[in-house]
Amino acid sequence: MLAIWQLPWCYNFLFAGKSVSTPFTLYSSVVGEFAMLERGEDKKMLYYDRAGNNYTEAEFDSILPMFYYRQLVTDSRFPQTICGREVTPRMIQTNNFNFRLSPSELNKPRTGLYQMLESMSGRVDLELPDDVFRLTDSGIEFVDIATNSVNVAKSESFTKMMSSKGFKFPAYRIAGNPTDRKEYDEGYVMLDAERKLYHVKMTKSRPYCRAIELPADMTPEYLYITEFPARTMLAFIIDTQGSFWVVNRPSYDVVRTGLPAINPNKESVLIMGNMFDWTVAVADRLTERYYALSAEDYSLLDTLSFQTPSRSAKGLKFLSSRDKFVKPRFE
Amino acid sequence: MENVIECRNLTHYYGKRLIYEDLSFNVPRGRILGLLGKNGTGKTTTINILSGFLQPRSGECYILGEKIGQMNPLTRRRIGLLIEGHVQYQFMTIEQIERFYSAFYPEWKREAYYELMSRLKVAPHQKINRMSCGQRSQVALGLILAQDPEVLVLDDFSLGLDPGYRRLFVDYLREYAKAENKTVFLTSHIIQDMERLVDDCIIMDYGRILIQMPVEELLGKFRRYTGSVGDGFNPHFDATIYNPAVLRSTLEAYSMEDEQSVRAKLTAAGVQDIVAERVSLEDAFIGLTGKY
Amino acid sequence: MIQAIFYKERIKTFWYSLLALLTSVGFAGYCMLRVWRVCELKGVEHLWIVMMQKDVIFVDMLQFVPLFIGLALAVVQFEPEMQRKSFKLTLHLPIRATKALCAMLLYGVAVLLVVFLPAIALMWGYLHTVLAPELWQHILLTTVPWYLAGIATYLLTAWVSLEPTWSRRIVDAIMSLMLIRLFFLTTTPEAYNGFLPHLTVLTAAFSLLSMLSLTRFRDGRQD
Repeated sequence: MLAIWQLPWCYNFLFAGKSVSTPFTLYSSVVGEFAMLERGEDKKMLYYDRAGNNYTEAEFDSILPMFYYRQLVTDSRFPQTICGREVTPRMIQTNNFNFRLSPSELNKPRTGLYQMLESMSGRVDLELPDDVFRLTDSGIEFVDIATNSVNVAKSESFTKMMSSKGFKFPAYRIAGNPTDRKEYDEGYVMLDAERKLYHVKMTKSRPYCRAIELPADMTPEYLYITEFPARTMLAFIIDTQGSFWVVNRPSYDVVRTGLPAINPNKESVLIMGNMFDWTVAVADRLTERYYALSAEDYSLLDTLSFQTPSRSAKGLKFLSSRDKFVKPRFE
Repeated sequence: MENVIECRNLTHYYGKRLIYEDLSFNVPRGRILGLLGKNGTGKTTTINILSGFLQPRSGECYILGEKIGQMNPLTRRRIGLLIEGHVQYQFMTIEQIERFYSAFYPEWKREAYYELMSRLKVAPHQKINRMSCGQRSQVALGLILAQDPEVLVLDDFSLGLDPGYRRLFVDYLREYAKAENKTVFLTSHIIQDMERLVDDCIIMDYGRILIQMPVEELLGKFRRYTGSVGDGFNPHFDATIYNPAVLRSTLEAYSMEDEQSVRAKLTAAGVQDIVAERVSLEDAFIGLTGKY
Repeated sequence: MIQAIFYKERIKTFWYSLLALLTSVGFAGYCMLRVWRVCELKGVEHLWIVMMQKDVIFVDMLQFVPLFIGLALAVVQFEPEMQRKSFKLTLHLPIRATKALCAMLLYGVAVLLVVFLPAIALMWGYLHTVLAPELWQHILLTTVPWYLAGIATYLLTAWVSLEPTWSRRIVDAIMSLMLIRLFFLTTTPEAYNGFLPHLTVLTAAFSLLSMLSLTRFRDGRQD
């Protein structure tokens, strides 16, 4: 038993160095093609696109103006319009976002305590509250940190508000981003016991709860709050089929994206979005797939995929890149 | 007479090195048997087999009618064991070790132990690892006396003891064994001690038993012969004459045959001025096994 | 007779057990002192928030303490038996050898529990007054594999100590190191929760390894 654990470990430790590296890839709405950047064999940077065009570094900046806008501004090359739309560096900065999902972040031990920020304090900076909350079988329970005791009044007020909107406890899933290092706060999105979607936050010390209408035949599984600077989106959803959905803000419209099914337990996802397009990189152990989505209606524009064969030997393992738990597995 | 210890056809190797093959012996009740042999002839091997710390390659041993290795643990109450070097739990004091062992033996003779301890110049709270080897031997002996076993197995009891303690140990043990009809199996590398102590002896050579008989019988029969021989004398005798050797035209040889027939053989070989002497057990041992 | 074995083990380990208890409780106490200082200097809110956002558990320094306590206990308990092979004395006692060895191991595990539990109790005693159950459980559950590792290390060291030949001792020691690694695969708090039952069974199984050494000792294996 020790051998089937330790021998592959030794092999991987000694031989399975870096796996095949893929070029840095972004979709360019300017050329309507995936553009890549990688270090060549002679250590020189290579700039090209999938169609086979090679670029200089300066040309590369200008076909990816959303990504290199600061370089363009510095070089006084920033264009007035891009793809026929008038743009300013400020617009680009506001609309750019990065979003990352990894199986090991999804599958890791959690304490089950969250913090509800005040999302309408009237102040510019967000502040962390002096309490935390947990979700119980029958409601939401706020615990005052200083006294380590349940704040009954606040708990009842939130529970009552949520129940009045149809929320059935216990909650099935909750997602939020309780930090004061963000521009604004949208609280949490939650699935109730019947997997209905709700938006819950605290405004002016009062509970805010809103049921979000879901398309028929769609059952959400994983939720992610976005809180991007552009404020055009509230959350991302992956449903039980692996489809990727966007909850728009402030309309609460739930819109399906053109991405093929994603398994967040096995695949990592990186979205680099801007006002024209999103480049979505989905990677598992054997492939790295790129999808270009329209920022307008989230429709699929283009796809690209790389093979990334792994050289690691199979054997008994206790850790995995897919979660942060220790358990025996053969992979 | 009932055999308290019986060993049949013991064969043992360390790796590929043969220690002995088909070794058999018995120790009848009430006898003190000494196992004599040079280093490496398997004395400790035999003791280890007898005390259950070594599984022989083949053959079997019985103590008190029970096969070693499958022995009922309670039978070990009736067997006293002295480990080479009088090893006892080093971390205990005289009092602690007595208290410890007494729990295992319903017939524990506390007085016997403390009688012996009272003669030692040690404090009751002194740990055994702070004692001299002689004092430790008395502790080990005292524990065996208190255990009062029927059979005693003693591994090289003289190791590390000065002459006084050796004599004390031997006298105490002999008196005790004879008075209580104990059966004793022991080894020692100091043969003088054995002469005072043992009834029977087994003398081992590499891989085999040379003789096994009562000490009295051995000393009664065994003779050392000396005589003068001419230059270039090449001693060639039959197996009844042990280890003939010539040093400065003097022949030295040993035999257990009757004196007349040995003299005849020596004379026939050309040895003159033959003198026959009785010898001590130590000399008999050397005569049998040779000096090398 | 079993009690006499316990008596013998107590003589060997009494002073060490006291030292181990002091060390165990001392380290746990020091960690609690650090938690208390965080509360005093930065407020209890800070304590909760760094735990929730940064996954800080404040007791990281305890990680290898039980391991070393277990290792040293096995050495203190079994090395005197191996000195000049005095283990033979134990085996010659009128009690089944496996029973005697079980009693010795049982005593050692009991000592470890007496050494570890007050430390855990001390941590609980303080933490549950300032932290929500989720958070103090988060800390204590994270320490469980470490304490289990202490017991496992004790049992494995016993196995290695009782092994009669040096060549095999080295092999056993290397295998023990690999097995102990199992308890320290990750520093992620609570990562071991689901694996704890397996680890407990595995730890219990380690006590059987000493029986293997015992058999080899009685068969007279030598280098």
